[in-house]
Amino acid sequence: MAESADAQERHILATELRWSAMVAVLVAAILSVVVYTAISVGINPPSNVERIDPKSLHLTGEFAEHNLGTSVAADGAITARMVATQFAFVPRCIALPSGKPVTLRFASPDVVHGLLITGTNVNTMVVPGYIAQVHTVFTQTGDLLMPCHEYCGLGHSEMWAVVQVVPEKEFKPASDGRASCEKR
Amino acid sequence: MTHLESQIGRSSLPQDKDGIDEGSLESVMREVPRGAMALAGTAVALLTVGWVAIYLFVFVPRGVVG
Repeated sequence: MAESADAQERHILATELRWSAMVAVLVAAILSVVVYTAISVGINPPSNVERIDPKSLHLTGEFAEHNLGTSVAADGAITARMVATQFAFVPRCIALPSGKPVTLRFASPDVVHGLLITGTNVNTMVVPGYIAQVHTVFTQTGDLLMPCHEYCGLGHSEMWAVVQVVPEKEFKPASDGRASCEKR
Repeated sequence: MTHLESQIGRSSLPQDKDGIDEGSLESVMREVPRGAMALAGTAVALLTVGWVAIYLFVFVPRGVVG
């Protein structure tokens, strides 16, 4: 009988080892898919360490009011800049083309905010003192909602913006390289 | 004496009085791990299929981000 119990224990141990091996293979396979996609397609968690003084970001420099919104550089690089503040994104709407690489840059002068653009993989925190940056290519057109997803105070639920993604042919920045939303 | 009985130092367990003979108990104990494996395997397989489906048909088509 003791032998039978020992055999049973060996059987259970073997089963547990088989299960552990299967789970290890599964985890390795999932990680491989994530790493392969990161390397081959370039899908990565947004990461950017760039400091900015939250007390003066709205006065001068990149996030001064006149520089907010979408701009197209001489080399064709498209960058949209927004300030996330209690309780609004400034500007409330940014226009961007689909099918082209764009850079989104955000800064906060007050508290921690967060944002996502619905229907896309854009999702980041906006921490005071740092510039949040996301590179993406929009694969769809339309008015995409961009709410704040980090509770930032009593008006948090009213804090949202719109990303107006237009077909590449219809994206026509002004002569100074600025592009703004069309009224609809 | 079963392994459990030898561990607790008794030759018979109170459950013996329930009329469950040791042979039936051992046959159940042989079946239970198979059932547990089937249940756990099905659950993990469903979760994995769900993860792969969302990854391939939702996450990747939403476009590059970085």
